Amino acid sequence: MKTAKHTALEEKPALKKSEAVIHIKGLKKAFGENLVLKNINLEVRKGENVVVLGRSGSGKSVTIQCIVGKINQDEGELTVFGEDVASLNERELKELRTRIGFLFQGAALYDSMTVRENMEFPLTRVLKIKDQEEIGRRIEDVLTSVGLIDAIDKWPSDLSGGMRKRAGLARTLIVQPEIMLYDEPTTGLDPATSREISQLILDMQKKYKTTSLIITHDMECARITADRVVVMHEGEYIAEGTFDELKNSKNDLVCSFF
Amino acid sequence: MAEHAAPAWKRWLEESGDQVLFLKGFFRNMFRGGFEWSEFVRQCYEIGYKSFALVAITAFIMGLVLALQLRPTLVSFGAESTLPRTLVISIVREIGPVITAVICAGKIGSGIGAELGSMKVTEQIDAMDVSGANPMQYLVVTRVLATTCMIPLLAVMGHVISLIGGYVAINIQASVNWLLYYNKCVGALTFSDLLPAFIKTIFFGFAIGFIGCYKGYNSNRGTESVGLSANSAVVAASLWIFVIDAIVVQVSSLLLY
Repeated sequence: MKTAKHTALEEKPALKKSEAVIHIKGLKKAFGENLVLKNINLEVRKGENVVVLGRSGSGKSVTIQCIVGKINQDEGELTVFGEDVASLNERELKELRTRIGFLFQGAALYDSMTVRENMEFPLTRVLKIKDQEEIGRRIEDVLTSVGLIDAIDKWPSDLSGGMRKRAGLARTLIVQPEIMLYDEPTTGLDPATSREISQLILDMQKKYKTTSLIITHDMECARITADRVVVMHEGEYIAEGTFDELKNSKNDLVCSFF
Repeated sequence: MAEHAAPAWKRWLEESGDQVLFLKGFFRNMFRGGFEWSEFVRQCYEIGYKSFALVAITAFIMGLVLALQLRPTLVSFGAESTLPRTLVISIVREIGPVITAVICAGKIGSGIGAELGSMKVTEQIDAMDVSGANPMQYLVVTRVLATTCMIPLLAVMGHVISLIGGYVAINIQASVNWLLYYNKCVGALTFSDLLPAFIKTIFFGFAIGFIGCYKGYNSNRGTESVGLSANSAVVAASLWIFVIDAIVVQVSSLLLY
């Protein structure tokens, strides 16, 4: 049986490392006896939206944690912007992280700060911007983009689930990262809000020209946002292609997602 | 038996190693540029100002009760006139710093442990870290330095209020002039009483902040761990207060007396 992965690999020759902003080859990671990532191979091109589909516990989140250097792999090659993440020192890793945005599943808003202060935090601490006028302009711009300008002085506890995701997205985008990593961006939201957030991710990707890697098991989110979909099962990528290609796949594991 | 003890010792050793690394991280970030002054001032306000009422009430009652308890014994020895002196030495050298620190370990240590634990569980610390900000500098350095600065101040204010409590207690059963009481108290104190007491409150403050931050920062995932962090922060900080007290008293006895 010819899987979607085989189809995609035949059509697209492997990229040179320099062409891919994220390059992963033979990635392995185990926690004790539990081998979470068995053999991950992935390349993400500049400006591309890649969705990683997979069941809970299949190792999706571990993969993106490896990309930002939160977890070091046991084996394999992982480069971001051509830099080997595992070999970076603390300072180099911080510099790399300023170029990567990470939207957490629960948005991870700082709950002791208002929305405005949440937006200010990365500007003053990461980009070290001191000009209050520029800070104010950037905050207004990004909150307008995500439709949250009216909630600028609200506390995170006063926001709904969808608004929290929007605020989390705004806080990540405010530093204008080159790569955006989304960890289950629509989990816990109702279908309508979930579609709104997925559309917002797409709009923001176009506006800020970011490269996106979206971890999800929400098919609607994948359909809206993906240029390319990768399916993950038990620590391995089993299929790769466009949403429609995979939808018509004859692989039972792939079909089970659609 | 030994088979069961080994993993516990291993865990203890691992945690001790983690604490040493956390301490190293604290000092490295403390001397790194970009100190978070505004957060430090906010923490001083949260820790110092907002704990003042609790420390004041406790200190007042402590001074009052101590004077009431001491009086009958001293009267039976015909040494009633030494009551202010006994009271001030007890409060300044031992009871004041330790009780203030234990009260603060309960209020501040648990607060820091729960706050950072909650931030860890909701991935706020991870969010700071992956954004390229420095959570150690923003969350840990500011809180530890704030407790290190505020606990000595609270303890000194607590001493004064305790002595006022003692004065009230003496005047319940007798009539003593405030100026006489004040002069007897101040006259009884020497440099060797004040300095070790003040120095140990600095260590108490550091221990409360450091342990609270360590427990919260290293919370496991899950809401249960927030409660565990708060609880273990109080227990460990209280224990360390008594250990530090014993060490400082012993060292100061060797050096000053």
